[in-house]
Amino acid sequence: MWNTLRLLLPALIPSWRFFRTVEASPRVQWTLTTRDEHPTDWQEFRPRRNRRSVTEAITQLVWNPRWNETLFLVSCAERIEVTAEPHAVAEIQRRVLADLLRSGSEAHGQVFQFRLVFVDWKDGAQREQVAFLSKPHMVSAKVSS
Amino acid sequence: MRATEILLALVFLQQSAEHMALHRDERLLFLPRAALSTLLLAGIHPNLMICGLMLHALIVLHRFQGPYNGGSDKLGLLILFCLTMAHLAPPGVWRELALAYLAVQVVLSYFISGQIKIMNPDWRSGRALTDVFRFSAYPVSEDMRALANRTNLVWSASWGVMLFEVTFPLALLHPATLIAALGIAVMFHLANAVLFGLNRFVWIWIASYPSILWLQDRLIGTA
Repeated sequence: MWNTLRLLLPALIPSWRFFRTVEASPRVQWTLTTRDEHPTDWQEFRPRRNRRSVTEAITQLVWNPRWNETLFLVSCAERIEVTAEPHAVAEIQRRVLADLLRSGSEAHGQVFQFRLVFVDWKDGAQREQVAFLSKPHMVSAKVSS
Repeated sequence: MRATEILLALVFLQQSAEHMALHRDERLLFLPRAALSTLLLAGIHPNLMICGLMLHALIVLHRFQGPYNGGSDKLGLLILFCLTMAHLAPPGVWRELALAYLAVQVVLSYFISGQIKIMNPDWRSGRALTDVFRFSAYPVSEDMRALANRTNLVWSASWGVMLFEVTFPLALLHPATLIAALGIAVMFHLANAVLFGLNRFVWIWIASYPSILWLQDRLIGTA
């Protein structure tokens, strides 16, 4: 009951403070290694494309599930930064892995990890700081998609 | 109230379709929402459908431990809650208060958002919006990051957004100004959708507009 109220009240009495300040912004990066390997090859999850066509921009007004999922992972990353919320960690892991397997990646039997890199701008240059590293996870043959 | 129900049902159908396209477990989670929204759209026992959607929204809230899509899901929940209260309340003042609360919150969504920006020196100088384009997670493609270098354009856009948001409540003074302000608001949400991929915000905010139009007519009318 208390948890329901905790989740519901911010919607019923909203603060409406969109973009009050622009803080460092999270990027989700992932890696697949063998059991004894130290992870070095980090890949950004769903990196932005360089360009987007007008047709895509119009279509995505009504159909944009992947981007909305990516924004959900940004919310999860921000929750992890504040409280290291296990639910948010599990959501990122599950969704990144599902995306990897859907794209045909040979992840089975490998060790998966993700990390959160927070990006901001200081003194005319972009800064990046690793704020979270997930525990190694052995990828089994079956991952919920 | 019926206009809000129809628009909310359409928004929930669009959101449910997006969820069901991605993951098997979300297909099961959002199938009831799609079904209830279809029945609501058809006008079949709207009171029961709204209450069902409200209960389902609580399940979804637990599933994601908060809103899935930030402010747009929060407004969806708020609309749903106010419609539920309006259906449960006896006809008359309580029903009107539920709808008025929704309308006031939507007006505040613009006003407070503008007020906190205009009090921030980074927003007034254009720096905040520059940072949004430069390094935030929102721009949908890399070429949009180049807008961070268009300082005059970003400064003008910052002030345009802030002035529109803080003056939005004044639009309630006349139906014509309200229609004009809502038109500008739609353009603002469309721009956010094109630049930052915030497509769900467009439709859910539009779904809330009948409540503002009703409140304006109820309180001030044609003046």
